[in-house]
Amino acid sequence: MNSCIPLNDLREGELARVSGLDAVSAPGATASEAQQLLARLRDLGFVSGARCQVIARMWLGGDPLVVKIGGSTFALRRAEASAVLVEPVQQPLAGQTRIPQNASATA
Amino acid sequence: MDAAVKTLRVALVGVPNCGKTALFNRLTGSRQKVANYAGVTVERREGERTAADGRAIRVLDLPGTYSLSPTTLDEAITRDVLLGRVAGESAPDLVVCVVDAVHLPIGLRLALEVKRAGVPIVIALNRMDVARRRGVRIDLERLSSELGLTVVPTVAVARGGADALIAVIDAPRWMDLRAVATPQWQAPSAADAEQTQADLRALLANVGYEAPADSAWGRRVDALLLHPLGGFVVFAVVMFLIFQAVFSWATPIMDGIDGSMAHLGAWVKTTLGDGPLPSLLADGVIAGAGAVLVFLPQIVILFFFILVFEDSGYLPRAAYLLDRLMGWVGLSGRAFIPLLSSHACAIPGIMATRTIPAWRDRLTTIMVAPLMTCSARLPVYGLIIAAFIPARDVGWFNLQGLILFGLYAAGILSAFLVAFVLKQFGGARRYSPLMLELPDFQWPHAGNLLLGLWERVKIFVNRVGGIILALMIVLWFLATYPAPPDGATGPAIQYSFAGRLGALLEYVFAPIGFNWQISIALVPGLAAREVAVASLGTVYALSATGDDLSTQLEPVIAHGWSLATAGSLLAWYVFAPQCLSTLAVVKRETNSWRYPLIMAGYLFALAYLASFITYRVLS
Amino acid sequence: MTQQVIVGVLVVLAAGFCVWKLMPARRRLRALLALDAFAARHAMLAGWRQRSLKPRIARAAGSGCSGCAANVGVRPPNRPR
Repeated sequence: MNSCIPLNDLREGELARVSGLDAVSAPGATASEAQQLLARLRDLGFVSGARCQVIARMWLGGDPLVVKIGGSTFALRRAEASAVLVEPVQQPLAGQTRIPQNASATA
Repeated sequence: MDAAVKTLRVALVGVPNCGKTALFNRLTGSRQKVANYAGVTVERREGERTAADGRAIRVLDLPGTYSLSPTTLDEAITRDVLLGRVAGESAPDLVVCVVDAVHLPIGLRLALEVKRAGVPIVIALNRMDVARRRGVRIDLERLSSELGLTVVPTVAVARGGADALIAVIDAPRWMDLRAVATPQWQAPSAADAEQTQADLRALLANVGYEAPADSAWGRRVDALLLHPLGGFVVFAVVMFLIFQAVFSWATPIMDGIDGSMAHLGAWVKTTLGDGPLPSLLADGVIAGAGAVLVFLPQIVILFFFILVFEDSGYLPRAAYLLDRLMGWVGLSGRAFIPLLSSHACAIPGIMATRTIPAWRDRLTTIMVAPLMTCSARLPVYGLIIAAFIPARDVGWFNLQGLILFGLYAAGILSAFLVAFVLKQFGGARRYSPLMLELPDFQWPHAGNLLLGLWERVKIFVNRVGGIILALMIVLWFLATYPAPPDGATGPAIQYSFAGRLGALLEYVFAPIGFNWQISIALVPGLAAREVAVASLGTVYALSATGDDLSTQLEPVIAHGWSLATAGSLLAWYVFAPQCLSTLAVVKRETNSWRYPLIMAGYLFALAYLASFITYRVLS
Repeated sequence: MTQQVIVGVLVVLAAGFCVWKLMPARRRLRALLALDAFAARHAMLAGWRQRSLKPRIARAAGSGCSGCAANVGVRPPNRPR
């Protein structure tokens, strides 16, 4: 748990494991909106241990970015992505929910 | 109330993009639009089917949701209907939870939550064909026994693909099980949600589910479409192609329709002679309603592209590309889809804003939605462009298509500008989420495509044959009576009710270059924008003098209007607030008269200003 | 003369149709319900009531562009006063 970074800092193509959710510091979000956001992220599968991968990011700071998690793909704005803390993993782990390999692994 | 006791009420619930609407169509046989992006199902849709033993079963299609903890109005409705909290609507007797077999985790999580709420539930594992093709293995028996629920595989887009589900629903046993317990649900805590996810993970491992690897094809397509540069290039090329196609593909068919209308009008006049009835038929019905019918091919082509985008999953990807821009002018990322469907008609677009959680974002989206060029404006644009712009090639492109593209772009640009201004009034920057699912890219289903197109054709022809026809008959009457006094000089229409009204309105519209014929046409255009074209057809047919029997509008206006007037009318239609139904929907959605009045006011001011400038610059 | 009568009838029908179509959806539903109540009292209208009035009412009250918001007892969320 020493190398936790927010999801929006994850490099494109890099695999990572979710280590937790953090209250959002989005500008203008009320406390209840932040709670709602966290609950929704959890329901979409952003829970500790889930594996995810950023597959695309927009120019200038990667806002918004596209994330694969649990076999689904979501476009997130920076504010949402920063609420997810992740830990980069070096190689795909064997496990219950496999994350699609990145391009270099299957090419 | 006897009937209510005997009917079983079934509700369909599932995450967006799971094929729930297609399955609903299979069950009820009703034909509706099937789309592929998050949030299309905003209406309450109910259908009825007859079970094998003759009982009636009512099927309710609930809005798609990821969770019972709602973030939007739609999702709140789904939860409240499931729990029987909606006034006048008791909890369904049976809930069919539709789960996409390819994306099993997210759908199954919702199923777990619904099951825990104590609702009688069966699971329809949809898109089984795709799952099998992509190598997803699911142990159905194990899944069923682990959950303690009936699990049936379905393929909603294939004929007979829902037979297993139908057999389950039609079984009489649900009648006896109904109303055993009232559903109970509480907003889950963070720990509850984590626990549900842990249960889900164990369940997925037990049934042998593994997320399918992306196809190499899909990955390559996404790498291009989501690329910060390549994505925009593709987007621009695609948009260009649409407007090129609207003009170049449609022309031969339109010329055919136009020609036959002209022949029909001339034939009616020569066969029936003079008198009120032939005039009504030729000048009112054929010249008026016929003038709109000509634009059917263009509308079909436009909708063909819109439907292809919906079905293929391109729309959410385009939303992702444009999100930064939309955020900059203060629009929510979720606003893209409502704004795009406003290109068909602003009314469904405004209703689709219910998927936007924050009220401020939603209001901004509603306010700019009428600036998107709806398909009813296409006849007006098409008429003027065909009359005034030569069909020349500019480089690879057709000049007419370029102008049309420019008009659409003008609508979108002004929407961004208005949103930007509204943002300045709105105060501090507010947080607004995107969280948009990008469904798998897929080839559009040909059957769904044809059905969707056929529906659009039906709607258009019904409008022409219904409200537009009726309005034209009324307009013909107003433009014909009272008859001119003996010894009158000018065309008879100038002495009629409509003619006098037009002369009055001309005072208002003369500064922006509209003559009295255009001024008259703007009035019935309030009912629907394309009616303005029909009205021009009738007004000009009635103002024709002597043996000029032409019922073709295009050459008449090409002769009679200056380029400045034509440009001014185009500019007017980019903004014009002339659609009473849109204002009525805004009133209903915002539950106040304030916003429709503001909307009408600002659109009218913008339209007048834009037309004034265009007219002065061109003349 | 015959022509004028036909034209007159057509114009009146068209005007009535326009009013009906451009009427607010809620008022149209109310008008249909009033018609239904009237038909219920006259036995000779029973067939027409069953055949064409019933489905019309169902359509006006249920799906389509007008039913959704009016039917479900919810208001837009987070509305400022």
